[in-house]
Amino acid sequence: MPLTKYILIILLGLVLAMFIVSFADYQEIYNNISRLFYETNGFLDTGSRNIVTAIYLDYRLFDSLFEAGILLVAVSGINWISQHGAEQENAHFMLDKFKTPELFITFSRLVYPIMLLFGIYIVLNGHNSPGGGFQGGAVIASALLILFYIDLKKSTNMRVIMTIEKWLFVSLVSISAISLLTRGVLFTNFIPLDADADLKSIYLIALNIIIGAKVALGLTAVFIAFLKEGR
Amino acid sequence: MNPILSFVVILIGIYGLAVSTNIIKSVFCVTIIEAGLILLFLNLGQYEGGLIPIMEALGIEIVDPIPQALMITTIVIGSTITSLALMISIKIFHITGSIEWKDFLKRK
Repeated sequence: MPLTKYILIILLGLVLAMFIVSFADYQEIYNNISRLFYETNGFLDTGSRNIVTAIYLDYRLFDSLFEAGILLVAVSGINWISQHGAEQENAHFMLDKFKTPELFITFSRLVYPIMLLFGIYIVLNGHNSPGGGFQGGAVIASALLILFYIDLKKSTNMRVIMTIEKWLFVSLVSISAISLLTRGVLFTNFIPLDADADLKSIYLIALNIIIGAKVALGLTAVFIAFLKEGR
Repeated sequence: MNPILSFVVILIGIYGLAVSTNIIKSVFCVTIIEAGLILLFLNLGQYEGGLIPIMEALGIEIVDPIPQALMITTIVIGSTITSLALMISIKIFHITGSIEWKDFLKRK
């Protein structure tokens, strides 16, 4: 083991010691004011029983917007680096060489609609129960990826997926910007503050659907790009 | 105690990032750092007796929802960043025929 690794370990140990020392009084720095605020106001302000959804779709919508932007940029970057034409057929995946078992294909056909339904349920109930756009989108994406086990020869048009993704991002920004006209504040719920909780959830469901579709299409596009790469 | 352990996970990731000679291993180390970060943040908002942040009824005591909301975005961004890095490393393999940092840096 060379000397540089010992020096590195000693330096990292120093960082750990500094963290432990500064962590001893974190209870004084980290208070529960924000938690109490969300406990009392979270449901009344946003109409969302799930406080995490209330935060990432209403209080801190900027986070979600830039997160969706990063997803779009990363997927476009992966497509650009991969540089495979839209018409090019998917590579024969590793499973094709060993011949996917018939049992596996049959069970994939059985499980596929259930997974799709479960993902849509998670997206639609994101404001009432655990879940939301990101999680449901990941479940829908994994349901779509099962299709590749069923039919490997399927060729997918990446250009259509990327166009849909761009328009979803535009609609995400424009729906969240409507609140400038109705409430006078940018990037929040466009339904007035004193409305019923059920009325407010229209906005939450719409944004959850858009984010879910965006995440599902993005992860599918990433997987297809890797499939086309595997020659 | 738990936040310190998750900080140790982050330090392990940094150590691996510093000493790894393989590009794929470096990508894995970034993933390890991210996992430690997620554990650290989720531990900070936790306290004994706190329920999940879903207001079934008004007046229940919940854990801090802000770290959880932040970590949702972190997970999605982390997955995309990992796939971008892996795609770049595939391209590097196609160009140089090797996924060692040594061979890649020698080309300049």
